[in-house]
Amino acid sequence: MKLPDSLRLTIRNFKVNSDPGTIMFMLGLPTLYLLVLGFMYQSLIPAVTFNNVDVSYTDFLMPGIMAMEVMTAGTVGGSMLWSDRRFFMFEQLLVGPFNRLSYLFGLIMVSLIFSIIGNTIMLVIFYLFVGKLIFTTMGLIYSILTLFIGTIIFTSIYLIISIKTKKMQTYNTITIVLFFVVDFTSSAFYPITDRTPYSLRVISYINPLTYITDITRSTLVFSSLNNVLSEFLILTIATVIVFGVALKLYNGVKPGI
Amino acid sequence: MYTDAIYVNNLRKTYDNIKYAVDDISFNVKRGEIYGLLGKNGAGKSTTIKILSTLVKKTSGNVEVLGMNINDSLSIRKRIGVVQQDLSFDLTTVEKNFKIYGLLWGVKKELLKSRMEELIEIFDLDKVRKNNIMDLSGGQKKRVQVAREFLHDMDLLFLDEPTVGMDPIVRRKLLDYIKMRVKNGLTVLFTTHIMEEADYLCDRIGIINSGKMVIEGNSNYLKDNFGGYKTLKLDLNKDIDNLTKNEILSMNVNLRNKNNELLITAKNIDNIIPAIIKIIEKHGYNIVKLNMDQSSLEDVFFEVVN
Repeated sequence: MKLPDSLRLTIRNFKVNSDPGTIMFMLGLPTLYLLVLGFMYQSLIPAVTFNNVDVSYTDFLMPGIMAMEVMTAGTVGGSMLWSDRRFFMFEQLLVGPFNRLSYLFGLIMVSLIFSIIGNTIMLVIFYLFVGKLIFTTMGLIYSILTLFIGTIIFTSIYLIISIKTKKMQTYNTITIVLFFVVDFTSSAFYPITDRTPYSLRVISYINPLTYITDITRSTLVFSSLNNVLSEFLILTIATVIVFGVALKLYNGVKPGI
Repeated sequence: MYTDAIYVNNLRKTYDNIKYAVDDISFNVKRGEIYGLLGKNGAGKSTTIKILSTLVKKTSGNVEVLGMNINDSLSIRKRIGVVQQDLSFDLTTVEKNFKIYGLLWGVKKELLKSRMEELIEIFDLDKVRKNNIMDLSGGQKKRVQVAREFLHDMDLLFLDEPTVGMDPIVRRKLLDYIKMRVKNGLTVLFTTHIMEEADYLCDRIGIINSGKMVIEGNSNYLKDNFGGYKTLKLDLNKDIDNLTKNEILSMNVNLRNKNNELLITAKNIDNIIPAIIKIIEKHGYNIVKLNMDQSSLEDVFFEVVN
């Protein structure tokens, strides 16, 4: 029996991206962050207060790394579209037995797969080194949904960049700059508090990674659902808007760059 | 059951509402036929293929592919193969490119394996099968792109300049392979700039210029009717005199001679050969040898396009 179109495209996207370079970027970088920052900084930062509870820096950092994994997974979809347009596979697939929506679905699905694999690995590493995972059923559901929605918003953002840029260098520069800006203006590495400069706080709260981190942190590490619903709603609405923009732009994409 | 694999009637396409890339083209391709579409760069060949393969929407006209309306795009795409002019590939090894492409088309594993091996051999890719596609030459990449398309079943194949960069041996192998596939029921629409290829491969040829179909027919018909100037070569039993020369020249021909050899060049020379022979014999010469250079498809192309 023939697999559905979008599933065939997803497998193809996964196979094409299963090269050592991509795997290193997808899994190696977050693991390095978790091991180096999480365990080395532990001696510098003994405890962090989050939601009025003191936790170790490793416990605090772990959800941030998971959120980062979501963002990294989102780059796969954007890069895939870029590469397919650059090397005319987009055009080739559109004269094949697929429609545009199947192709888009394939891009999102491959990002989700990398996100799931990456986050599972992070959880396993965390469990191996720290020896604990605390979550409730509701918390787990929120976490999974957040990581799912988070992957969609970042895939959409990278798709927009991929569609709007004409040169490889421009695409690479924008994605690298964005990667660091989004990473370091979010709450992934440190809590956003009243002591954080106002302008940085504003940037932090328009940064989707902050919401993904905060929800994952609350639900997976602190087993707390305080503020989770409101943050989840904000993230969902932002995802719907960004995905809508990406979809509109994607529908207008002509083959070739 | 449809008889025309492709039916195009008054097809027009404009990208900017000013110029027409394809301007009122009509033609048909019968099932099991190899149809060659020739034209200069920018003549409208690739746009026509893009429309027929449902990649680009037509501006007006009627188009049917495999008996289906062109708007039924997904159903058409499931039954066609397309080798585009631009090199297209996944950034991985040759072998993985084949496997992924087979997967995309839902070719079963065992069948995919046997077809892949067959195509790797035919297209002489065995030595580079483990290489990354980026490490191949342009011709090798093209071979991978063309070979890959034969992995899946199809009723109609569009080949847009498929032999670019290929060496003559692989090129001939490809053309023969296409002929073999056509014998088994495939229909092919083929574009090329190499006239010998079109002559060797195509059952019928259409030449388009500035988006319009200029002439259409089989290779011999085109050569006979649009071949332009042909040269008649005559060896006589002795040197020709001026009186005879002048009488031949009065028939609006170009005449060159060296000793007893005559070279007479004219448009539609076939029609005046009997008159020329009559003049020569009237002046007491015997024709020892008579030859006529057949015009080539390239002559037809130059004649029609220029």
